[in-house]
Amino acid sequence: MAATSVSLRAPASRSVSGWPLLLLSALGLLALSFVLAGRAAPPDSALVWLLGVLALLLVGVFGIRQSAQGETLAARIVPAAATLILLVLAAEALLRAYGVPTGLIPTPSKVMQALWAARVVLLQDAYYTFVLEALLGFIIGTLAGLALALAAVRFRFLERGVLPYAALLSSVPIVALAPVVIKAVGLGWSSKTIIVAVTVLFPVVINAVRGLQSAQPMHLDLMHSYAASPTQVFHEVRWPSALPFVFTALRVSSTLALINAIVAEFFGTEGHGLGFRIQIEVGRFGLDIVWAAIVVASVIGVSFYLLISAAERLMLPGRT
Amino acid sequence: MLAVALVAVLIYWPLMLWANAGQAARSLASGADLGCGTALQCATQLRNPVIPAPQQFATGFRSLSVPPLADTSAPRNALVTGGETLLGLALASLLGLVLATLLVRSRSFERATLPWLVASQTVPIVALAPMLAVLLGQFGVQGFFPKAIIAAYIAFFPIAIGMAQGLRSPDPLQLDLMRTYRASPAQTFRLLQIPASLPYLFTSLKVAATAALVGSIVAEISTISFSGLGKMLAENSRASDTVALWVIMIYGAALGIALVALIGLLERLVTGWRRPV
Repeated sequence: MAATSVSLRAPASRSVSGWPLLLLSALGLLALSFVLAGRAAPPDSALVWLLGVLALLLVGVFGIRQSAQGETLAARIVPAAATLILLVLAAEALLRAYGVPTGLIPTPSKVMQALWAARVVLLQDAYYTFVLEALLGFIIGTLAGLALALAAVRFRFLERGVLPYAALLSSVPIVALAPVVIKAVGLGWSSKTIIVAVTVLFPVVINAVRGLQSAQPMHLDLMHSYAASPTQVFHEVRWPSALPFVFTALRVSSTLALINAIVAEFFGTEGHGLGFRIQIEVGRFGLDIVWAAIVVASVIGVSFYLLISAAERLMLPGRT
Repeated sequence: MLAVALVAVLIYWPLMLWANAGQAARSLASGADLGCGTALQCATQLRNPVIPAPQQFATGFRSLSVPPLADTSAPRNALVTGGETLLGLALASLLGLVLATLLVRSRSFERATLPWLVASQTVPIVALAPMLAVLLGQFGVQGFFPKAIIAAYIAFFPIAIGMAQGLRSPDPLQLDLMRTYRASPAQTFRLLQIPASLPYLFTSLKVAATAALVGSIVAEISTISFSGLGKMLAENSRASDTVALWVIMIYGAALGIALVALIGLLERLVTGWRRPV
């Protein structure tokens, strides 16, 4: 695998540090933003500023290119970090150069201010959306999915009967389900938890069954010749071979869980949650708070994803 | 499979009675005149049932589907949403292919952007939909297109990742063979890597189709729209018309399944020589 990926890539050039270029680009963009902030009105010809920003970005791209050479830890982390920083700075400068009103797209600095100003409300929203809805739904969905998968592997008629429906239902858009569930269960957070659980259920079932069946017949035969009990076979062979598949499903559903909790909140809440906040603030053109809510949601989402990936690496060393 | 369907139909009736009886009992206790005696008898006649009774389903389906091409009928709106989703998928495939090629070709591009591509999926992109619609509206883009863009925005990631994986799937032996044939990088790409990536492409297209459908429905809900399943969902959710919500849900489910089936069909046409994965 390693050989493939190397041979498909461009040959590595000599290693040159990209730091000077990156610093030049970042500081230049920062300076542009400050100059623009000092002005009372937006400049007459934004084209000059646009060209300036683009030129500085191009310098940054070369910097990123050079800092991405080699296999050191810095070569893995710096390019990604620099991309984000440069893009945010460029957005700040461009939005100021064109005098875009905050009601349309707020500049990153305005978003940070809103994030700080609304931190109490946003943290409470995050508690509802993530802990009560996404996390709880994720756990319930995973457990139910694993139970269903075990039953389907144990009883063949279930596999024949239920799995096709699971595959079918996994292509049902969850937004179509959300209003019905919320009408049936109520506006509280539990209706959103159920929706998240249903979303998580199908990928887990499908992947867990595929994983449990991926045990090598040779291994099973070997266990049979050792006179291992079904519990032992499960513990020693089936479960370890299923784990990678289960973790794939968990990684996918960790992002789905949060997104679907937010989408489900669009259909009715009791006034809590990031989805509710986004919906309300878009209506009031409070877009800086909307972006702040998105920043909170994405930080949670990325952390959750990384947590699941870390758990995967911990339990399956030597893979991925 | 049929037996399970039969069991599902058999539990539907008691489940429906059980789910509705509580609400019926509550309305009876509050003194409402439902025109029926006991809670169990009323369970099939609630105006806003938790789970509709069969005859309610039938009336709901009829009133939402006949005539099929009226402005307020579900089949027409499903077609609109399906069209938006397909256009979104096409845009997403284009973007996904470009990204996948860049990811496979350039390591610095991969290192600089891949973490953020992954992060973009943990970001609730659907939360961006209302804003994106406002923004595009400012530039005069309205109607069909913003929804397709939002659908594409959600669907590009599985395509990009799946396609990149597919482009890397040829093993070193096959690449060596191409080298011994003195194939240029472009030829290797066209003759080996692209065909090898097709199964991956179709698998990710199926995932992307559902994602895009969610995207276009959410876009219809959160923007000003005049047709589509999302607009019907939003209207009926506001009007608390539960039977209509169930009917629209079934239409949405059917649309999702139809889209995935369509891609499956396309897959069989394009990669006919392969065993379907």
